[in-house]
Amino acid sequence: MALSVLVFWLLALVSILGALGVVVARNPIHSAIGLVLSFLNVAAIYLVARAEFLAVVQVIVYAGAVIVLVVFVTMLVHPDDLPEFHGRRPLRVATGLILGIALLAEVTAAILARGLRGAPGPWTEETVAAVGGNTSALGQVLYSEFMLPIQLTAVLLLAATIGAIVLARPEAVSERLAVARRLLTISLAHPRGLDQPEPPLALPAGRDERVKPAGGGRPIVLARSADEFTERPAWGEWRPR
Amino acid sequence: MSELSATHFLLLSAALFIIGMVGVLTRRNVLVIFMCIELMLNAVNVSLIGFAWELHQLTGQVFALFVIAIAAAEAVVGLGIVMALTRRADTVDIDELRQLRE
Repeated sequence: MALSVLVFWLLALVSILGALGVVVARNPIHSAIGLVLSFLNVAAIYLVARAEFLAVVQVIVYAGAVIVLVVFVTMLVHPDDLPEFHGRRPLRVATGLILGIALLAEVTAAILARGLRGAPGPWTEETVAAVGGNTSALGQVLYSEFMLPIQLTAVLLLAATIGAIVLARPEAVSERLAVARRLLTISLAHPRGLDQPEPPLALPAGRDERVKPAGGGRPIVLARSADEFTERPAWGEWRPR
Repeated sequence: MSELSATHFLLLSAALFIIGMVGVLTRRNVLVIFMCIELMLNAVNVSLIGFAWELHQLTGQVFALFVIAIAAAEAVVGLGIVMALTRRADTVDIDELRQLRE
């Protein structure tokens, strides 16, 4: 048995154990740890298959970004509402296991009986080394044959970013716009002095910095916001609470 | 089986995919189901790279790269959905999330 096969089986065993840990663990954080284990071993298997660039991408994107995202969201979700603690569904577990074993048997039989093989392509180890390694070869293929798909991938990632922002935003758009408009409104004065029987707020006496006599004797009150001395909102906007 | 071939990669890919599938079918926590979907996408990558290695092609690696990009987009949107779900329904149990059905 060749050494590469031995290394492969070792890595495959650990990655399968990590995947089993994802499914079996009750705590989602333990599941995430199992997922990291599985991803890192799969990255090592990519190295066995001479896909060095994808191994690095796997570590950065999957084991880095996606796992960090999952752990963040797991921390944000309410922790004392873990569904697995409220009783399992034995029928569902049995159904899943039976379906999984049946599919595994079928797929294994199909793989072992696989007879049709395609013609080998041009990218042997020598030609890959001649253009400067796996990353260069992949870049040449990616930016010549797959030019349009990679541009579309950029658009897809942008759309996903916008969608995630829309989904994870705390409030509705109208509320945020109202809040922003109230914060951005600079209101220096509300000259409502003469037509009101009494000032809406007892002004501090003797502090000439804040109450100044203006034209016609109308008081000019320095307000922190537009709504401070008026009962109705200034722009007829809807206010929460 | 004494020499490394695409069969090894395909067997590993099948095992990982089916473990992920069983997880999706049996678990109730939305986050764990999400992780199992990531596991299945990753399993597909293993078989693509195995084929690319056996056939001396780079197309399989390019496909795996696209799968990784789409998995990243899916992770972002899926976790955004989980955040919105917990904010609205305050649960991550898929048995209690049936507003869309009723």
